[in-house]
Amino acid sequence: MKTTHGDVAARKKKGPGALATAYLVIYNVVMTAGWLVIAVGLVRAYLARGSYHGLYYSIEKPLKFFQTGALLEVLSRVFLTWAVTHSVREVRRRLLFYFHFEIIIGYSFNTSSWLNPLRYTFFFALYPMGVSGELLTIYAALPHVQKTGLYSVTLPNKYNFSFDYHGFLILAMVSYIPLFPQLYFHMIRQRKKVLGHVEDYSKVE
Amino acid sequence: MDVLALEAKSVNGADAEKKSSSRPKPKPPKKAKRIVYFEVEIVDLKTKEKLLLLDKVEPTATVLDIKALVHKSYPKWYPARQSLRLDPKAKCLRDEEILQTLPVGTTASFYFRDLGPQLTWGTVFLTECVGPLIIYLMFYFHLPFIYSPKYDFTSSKHWVVHLACICHSFHYIKRILETMFVHRISHGTMPLKNIFKNCGYYWCSAAWMAYYINHPLYTTPYYGQMQVNAGLYVFLFCQIGNFSIHVALRNLKPPGSKTKKIPFPTKNPFTWMFWLVSCPNYTYEVGSWIGFTVMTQCVPVAFFTLVAFIQMTVWAKGKHGSYLKEFRDYPTLRSSILPFIL
Repeated sequence: MKTTHGDVAARKKKGPGALATAYLVIYNVVMTAGWLVIAVGLVRAYLARGSYHGLYYSIEKPLKFFQTGALLEVLSRVFLTWAVTHSVREVRRRLLFYFHFEIIIGYSFNTSSWLNPLRYTFFFALYPMGVSGELLTIYAALPHVQKTGLYSVTLPNKYNFSFDYHGFLILAMVSYIPLFPQLYFHMIRQRKKVLGHVEDYSKVE
Repeated sequence: MDVLALEAKSVNGADAEKKSSSRPKPKPPKKAKRIVYFEVEIVDLKTKEKLLLLDKVEPTATVLDIKALVHKSYPKWYPARQSLRLDPKAKCLRDEEILQTLPVGTTASFYFRDLGPQLTWGTVFLTECVGPLIIYLMFYFHLPFIYSPKYDFTSSKHWVVHLACICHSFHYIKRILETMFVHRISHGTMPLKNIFKNCGYYWCSAAWMAYYINHPLYTTPYYGQMQVNAGLYVFLFCQIGNFSIHVALRNLKPPGSKTKKIPFPTKNPFTWMFWLVSCPNYTYEVGSWIGFTVMTQCVPVAFFTLVAFIQMTVWAKGKHGSYLKEFRDYPTLRSSILPFIL
């Protein structure tokens, strides 16, 4: 029996050091807490006001803080909050609901690797939900961007440069087509790897 | 990738090879009547499947000879596409290495990896340069479907737009001619995928710049003719400089020679930049593009210049590093690309 335990220990790969692990755990706990705060704030504001109006302003500060902190996460999340919803009022409400559910689940899963089996199984549904949420948000913002010419620069100008934010957003949406399957299948492969190991350990015992 | 950055890579590779394979000194050829033939086994790197067994291989055979033998049995895998190594974790062997000098017994195992379809560097360089040349001209002549139909086949009324076309075209024609007649490309090939990546970058950048410079709504530089002339002189000066350096590097060693030499300034004043930097060709190239940016006053051009500068700095630092490793008496005044700065 002693030799098999030794084998397991030997087979375990060298993971991140103690400091890195501590940082990751704390980071994820803080992020989960932060997003929960925002969600709770949202619910309370809604209950107090009785409507969706002005909901965004009630949680604007913590939202901005935690979103910026999430720069370490997938870039699209930051992009959506600042570039789309911050600028496009009508879209904010819709974003919040698609977005937060996914974020809270995501961060809470990062708190402990013991939740991995859950995480890697839930993602089957959550990823498509999250992506459709993001796509719908961008799509909803499009008419407004076109009407106001938000973040766009036209010719002629002395820098001889132009930028069409509306076209850029459409391009971003189209880029999801090749990117999403890659991410999705990567998660599937990761799942096989991670959950495969879990099965190994349980066999040894 | 650039010609000279390549050479930096090959030097680094060579150094690592020398350190990793502790080669015993090659024995002087004996006058013995019996030659000990080697037996070489070719094993697939990933699957560990035995691909080929070569018996009676001459001890003086090179790695390239062995690759040719593999090619005979597997016609799809021409030598340029093969990577052979002594150990799965080791670096791949160079073509010139001789079998009997390698740290193997008379039965050797080589791990084989298919590098995929390859293209010669010359092919890649030419494709990279011909694209921008043609694409820019398409925008310059206002071919249909680019700008509004009322501008099709019209000519710009601004003198600077014509000048910019001449400069841009001159730059790429110069590069094509240099690739054909000046550069000595020592490395053989590169993977097919790279051509898409490299060409994509060059072609898209050219299209992006050309679109704005040749646009019917183009705005001429703020400081007028003075600014255009300043940009033009800087551009021309740096183009001549860049060419001078390429010629100097070519003349550094005779064709086919493998010895490395430190480049030094020659009688040509443009080569005096060698006192201050290891890669003056890159310095001049950045200077050319800065001149072109000033001349056209166009943000996409500035952006392209910045990206080119970053890439060339990476190459220059690599080259500078390999010079320092190779030569103990390397001039200490020199920096890699920007005098005294970088």
